[in-house]
Amino acid sequence: MPDALVEFQHLSHAFRPGRHIVIKALRDVSFSIQKGEIFGLVGESGCGKSTLARCLMNIYQPSSGRILYKGVDLCDGKARRQHRRMLQRERQLIFQDSASSLNPRMRVERIVTEPLVIQRIAPPRGSLRAEAEHQLRSVGLDASCLNKTPVELSGSQRQRVSIARALILEPELIVADEPIASLDVSIQAQIVTLFKHLQLAHGFTFLFIAHDLSMVRYLCDRTGVMRGGRLVELAPTRELFSNPLHPYTQALLSAIPFPDPLRERARPAFSAPPPEPAREGALVEVTPDHFVLQSPSCT
Amino acid sequence: MRFRSGAAYYLKKLAAFALSVFVLSAAVFALSRLAPGDPLVSYYGERAEKMSPQERERTMERLGLNAPLHVQYVRWLQGALRGEMGISFKYKQDVLEVIALRLPNTLLLGGIGFVLLFVLSLLLGVLCAWHEDGPLDRVVCRAGTVLSCIPEFWLSLLLILIFCVTLKWLPSSGAYTIGRAGDVLDRARHLILPLVVVVGSHLWYYAYMIRNKLLEEARADYVLLLRAKGLRKRAIVFGHCLRGILPSYLSLMAISVPHVMGGTYIVETVFSYPGLGTLTYESARYHDYNTLMVLCLLTGVTVIFCNMLGQVLSERVDPRIRREEAPVEVNAP
Amino acid sequence: MPDLLEVNRLSVRFDTPEGRILAVRDVSFSLAEGEVLAIVGESGCGKSVLCKAIARLLPKSAHVEAESILLDGVNLAGRSEREMCRLRGKLFSMVFQDPLTALDPTLPIGRQIAEAVTVHNRRLPRRAVERRVLELMDLVGMEQPQEKARMYPHQFSGGMRQRSAMAIALAASPRLLFADEPTTALDVTIQAQILDLLRDVQRKLHTSTVLVSHDLGVVARVADRVAVMYAGRIVETGTAEEVFYDPRHPYTWGLMRALPALAIEEGRPLSPIPGMPPTLLAPPRGDPFACRNEYALAIDYEQEPPLMRVSDTHWAATWLLDPRAPRISPPLGGIPHA
Repeated sequence: MPDALVEFQHLSHAFRPGRHIVIKALRDVSFSIQKGEIFGLVGESGCGKSTLARCLMNIYQPSSGRILYKGVDLCDGKARRQHRRMLQRERQLIFQDSASSLNPRMRVERIVTEPLVIQRIAPPRGSLRAEAEHQLRSVGLDASCLNKTPVELSGSQRQRVSIARALILEPELIVADEPIASLDVSIQAQIVTLFKHLQLAHGFTFLFIAHDLSMVRYLCDRTGVMRGGRLVELAPTRELFSNPLHPYTQALLSAIPFPDPLRERARPAFSAPPPEPAREGALVEVTPDHFVLQSPSCT
Repeated sequence: MRFRSGAAYYLKKLAAFALSVFVLSAAVFALSRLAPGDPLVSYYGERAEKMSPQERERTMERLGLNAPLHVQYVRWLQGALRGEMGISFKYKQDVLEVIALRLPNTLLLGGIGFVLLFVLSLLLGVLCAWHEDGPLDRVVCRAGTVLSCIPEFWLSLLLILIFCVTLKWLPSSGAYTIGRAGDVLDRARHLILPLVVVVGSHLWYYAYMIRNKLLEEARADYVLLLRAKGLRKRAIVFGHCLRGILPSYLSLMAISVPHVMGGTYIVETVFSYPGLGTLTYESARYHDYNTLMVLCLLTGVTVIFCNMLGQVLSERVDPRIRREEAPVEVNAP
Repeated sequence: MPDLLEVNRLSVRFDTPEGRILAVRDVSFSLAEGEVLAIVGESGCGKSVLCKAIARLLPKSAHVEAESILLDGVNLAGRSEREMCRLRGKLFSMVFQDPLTALDPTLPIGRQIAEAVTVHNRRLPRRAVERRVLELMDLVGMEQPQEKARMYPHQFSGGMRQRSAMAIALAASPRLLFADEPTTALDVTIQAQILDLLRDVQRKLHTSTVLVSHDLGVVARVADRVAVMYAGRIVETGTAEEVFYDPRHPYTWGLMRALPALAIEEGRPLSPIPGMPPTLLAPPRGDPFACRNEYALAIDYEQEPPLMRVSDTHWAATWLLDPRAPRISPPLGGIPHA
């Protein structure tokens, strides 16, 4: 694919928390994220979506497989060291819990501008303070926040600060791991709207990890569904939601309650999703751009 | 499979235990010999000072004290492995006999002290937690902090001053009045003050720890569900919260054994109570090497064992940890 | 239908070192037998505190004042802790958000359910208790109850834990069940199963339910009636149809318009409510929602609106319903009936 920004190739990762315990968090995951798209990754807790994000950010070293970022293999230590500066500048991560991911003793100004200081980049707007102010304004905060510490801010303000911090280096790729899960409903909508707006303005590639399917449906261009460490279905969001093919995706979609009492009451009881298939399978392109995991016997 | 991994676990612990004891014995051996002083004085008393150099040389040779340190140690180790711990320089008796004579006294003092601590700290802890922020709780917490800072020997002296010197209610030293060795009541009277010090100096601290653990447990979410079930406070505290803190209580108590023992030794010395503590003090002072070695090892083994026991208990008693031994392969839970 | 629960003018205040927090302000509502009432709102709006205040499960720092809390003819207001113990579990019971921390980790599930059975019926023979435990586990859809009863909470999945918590809550056949965000900590597919279970059990046993949730989808699935709470007050209440299809309060409008599911359906962008909920430490004068409300009137900044009648079952606390208020065209109110 010509304009793929990130390519996962047969990525697998296993945790060994005890001598006899092996948790296969990722199993042979292959897909790519196009430049400039908002890619949604959904699945239940423990399906491996956070592990994937952490492998992409080089927090975990995957057990096998490759991750290509602009053609650089992130799992290869040598290539990574060679492009260290570029990789650190261009990839940014936003966490779910902004209360614990921001240093409680630092002032917002320093939190936001720290990436510039670390990368030794001269602030384009003259001073660090002006730069911080500009970034805060772009995420909907005013300059009065600059001298506060994260503890003094509300959950949504803190999450905005982490977004500003991620944006200050003008990254190519932003990975957000459940960035709205711990926020209130009305605030979730604010942050998602902000994401949409910022992505339009800056054009960065965005990997949005969530378990809230309706937000993914609203925000993302393409969506991948994960289950038990595997990618089971991948399609443009509209296609995925209107024509889910994998039984697990179907179960997942039918499980979302819709805010309409009459429609909900008329709906039959939910049938539990089928158990995870034990056999290995491969992603098959069923219709253009629509991939489904199929076990070998089905094809 | 479960048995095997369990056995391996204990084997590993045992190996660690053996290694600690070995290191301890070497360290005590070296330290005691390096300390300045004349071991012959403890053996021959006054006479040692009148010895001619040749005579000294011969005696040292005979007692095996002039060989290089590591040779002495190997010799001692060989004997120790055969169960021969040597003779006491001071008492000219087999060390084990000397110790066997004193051991019951210490076991009595330390044992009763430990049992009292075990029971009273739990009772006091529960009582304080029950009346959280009540007057009793406040007094215990404050007084406990102060009392745990008072050194044992000072407390002992203070008590002797009050109850033995001023009030003349209780005896100030020994395990029994001379000539009344068989009198249980007399022995008990001699035990009171040492016990008060041994228990009193640690009780508050442990009660306070138990109180905090219990309150922490009582704030857990599941207590809310228990209350929603309709359970009374009594049933919740005694039926659930105490169960919850049991692992930490047991390991706390295992770790308290060395504390109590250390306290006992100090208290024995101050009250001239004929137990292992006094003996240890004497043997260190008079360079009674063999006795000192055995006493230090005995103490050390108890300390190491109890610490390990505490560790094992806290790891094993909790069902959440207990059951995760069998090998499992989990597909991302 | 006679009302099972009738709460009159309930207020809860917390005295904290920072000051006095009014978590629930002058709330009145009622619940008919066999009905499911959903209390909706953002975190900190007092919905969970309200339930715990009725069940008297709040910490000591909370001060609860109520004219009366009538449950099945029994006034809960001013009862002693001892009497409440006798009523809890039997008259009403509760299910909590996080099923992992809500169960005692040191006891097998079977014993925890058995305890809930025996606490109100001490003389029950052991055989009967065991039978009842298995019956309850069957009721909440736990397969192979014999083996599951011997397992510990940490050996269960989240869904199974929540089912166990349900079995415990239903052990003494309570008339009323409080479900405090029972599915928030669960995955969507598990959430759907637990919601189905909740609905199922409620139909079978005819238990009234107060469901606390922030998720309007969840509410739509199980609720007969809805109460929307904001800053410690009920700002709108009505049947599910009334609140979902014909909402009258600007806050309810805001909540609905912030739902991505509806935005996609109607092909419009998401319109979040601006600003943040007020701190209850120093509530603003007038209507606490006024500063986030695009339809706010001058009076909203002066005086808090009382609940005004829309229909016998539908009430909303907004000055827009006052006959003197200017006509506005509501942004919502016409979601098509299925």
